[in-house]
Amino acid sequence: MSFRVPIGPFHPALEEPYKLELICDGETVRDAVMNVGFNFRGIEYLAERRNWLQDITLVERVCGICSNVHSLSFCQTAEQLTGAAPPERALYIRVILAELERLHSHFLWSGIVGKLIGFKTVFMTCFLMREKVMDALSAISGNRVNYGMNCIGGVNRDIADPGAVLALLAEMEHEIEKTIIPIFLHDKTVATRCKGVGILTHAQAVSMGAVGPLARASGVGQDLRKAAPYAAYERFDFEVPVETSGDVMARVIVHAREMIESCRILRQALTSLPAGEIHTPTPTAAKYKVPAGTAISRVEAPRGEVLYHVTSNGTDIPARVRVRTPTFMNMATVRYAVLGQELSDSPLIQASCDPCYSCTDR
Amino acid sequence: MTTAAFEERLKELGLGEGWRWEKGSWWLEAPETFNVRTNTETLIRHGARFVAITAIELPSKEVRLDYQWDLNGQLLSIITATAAHKIATIADLIPAADWVERETYEYFAVEFTGRANTIPLMMRAGDPVGINLHKEAAQ
Repeated sequence: MSFRVPIGPFHPALEEPYKLELICDGETVRDAVMNVGFNFRGIEYLAERRNWLQDITLVERVCGICSNVHSLSFCQTAEQLTGAAPPERALYIRVILAELERLHSHFLWSGIVGKLIGFKTVFMTCFLMREKVMDALSAISGNRVNYGMNCIGGVNRDIADPGAVLALLAEMEHEIEKTIIPIFLHDKTVATRCKGVGILTHAQAVSMGAVGPLARASGVGQDLRKAAPYAAYERFDFEVPVETSGDVMARVIVHAREMIESCRILRQALTSLPAGEIHTPTPTAAKYKVPAGTAISRVEAPRGEVLYHVTSNGTDIPARVRVRTPTFMNMATVRYAVLGQELSDSPLIQASCDPCYSCTDR
Repeated sequence: MTTAAFEERLKELGLGEGWRWEKGSWWLEAPETFNVRTNTETLIRHGARFVAITAIELPSKEVRLDYQWDLNGQLLSIITATAAHKIATIADLIPAADWVERETYEYFAVEFTGRANTIPLMMRAGDPVGINLHKEAAQ
């Protein structure tokens, strides 16, 4: 007998509102219907009615977790239009912020996956480490989220004590290598819950335009930090982890290895941070105008590619601000990943796609 | 690959002539003969990844649509425009375009002809469409 299981839009299992209806035969999921839009805030509409400087603050509110990549992408489009090239030190600081944010997001993801597979040690360890990353972000920017670091032509704050971040980095690397990686790669409970579960094939990932760790776990090897480098990424040596099995286990491995790579990038950036200014003369006047034109910026957010397509008509207010977030592309893949799976695995499968409904709806 | 070599490659792949690299993307003003579906099939055949459709309201009240694709890490933007606020769907050729087309319909009242699915994405059934159009500018 076929029956329909509605989950959400407001449900204890969901961190944010969205609605998933699972059509099941017994315990097996036969189809899924998704409804989004419960977080719709009209941010693109609002951005076309505020000035360039106000928009930096606005776009940072697209997402509470990857807020930095939104202001970074937006500022990069403005820099292309104005020609305000950020100084080298600012580019390094942008990388440091972006990688700390990636760690913060990946620890959160890993903790939630740990919780959903019933492995509380992973949850506790990841959330403890996430707290430390947020403390570091707070020490640098003054905020645990919505850091307010990016400005057109650089960054707003310097990193006064890179050594303190390096000490934290050593602690994180130790915890990732000694606790998180061994559990994720070798523990029987993790393997039982994750191997062969929630498969998104390579062909499905390509046709759905999947991005980020979700796509890389299905063999789509692109990472914009390598493929189309921005900020100072081309100065650093790092690898892009790719898995091909497309299951939850592959996503776990990709996330874990990406945390190691983030630590590698952070160590290189912090130990070679160039001296100098952190921004070009910063526009502060409310009537700051940007020359007419269109520019696009793409950034590899923790969940994948973010695209900002910004058009200026030469005034102090952007004519068009288009925001395409990673989850907007990834979200629809959940439907494929849950097909034929056990109903009880569906919370883990949808969480393993790392959905951010706030980003999706904007 | 140099800029000139990539431009030549785009021509060889049958993606048209007149590409220019500017401000973060390769741009092509679609010629009058442009067919969005044929173009999509060509891009898919050459392994391009669909990225987005960006709608921009024009003074003529038509909507400019920039189709964005990633080809080997290079972003391609193909500039086209609606006719009477309509353009052919590509969602049946590339499922990734499904949500983007639904969103564009709701925000800019662009009808993607030939779509099987017209269920609202961000809005709710019966909500007005074209919510991102600059209506106050026309008043």
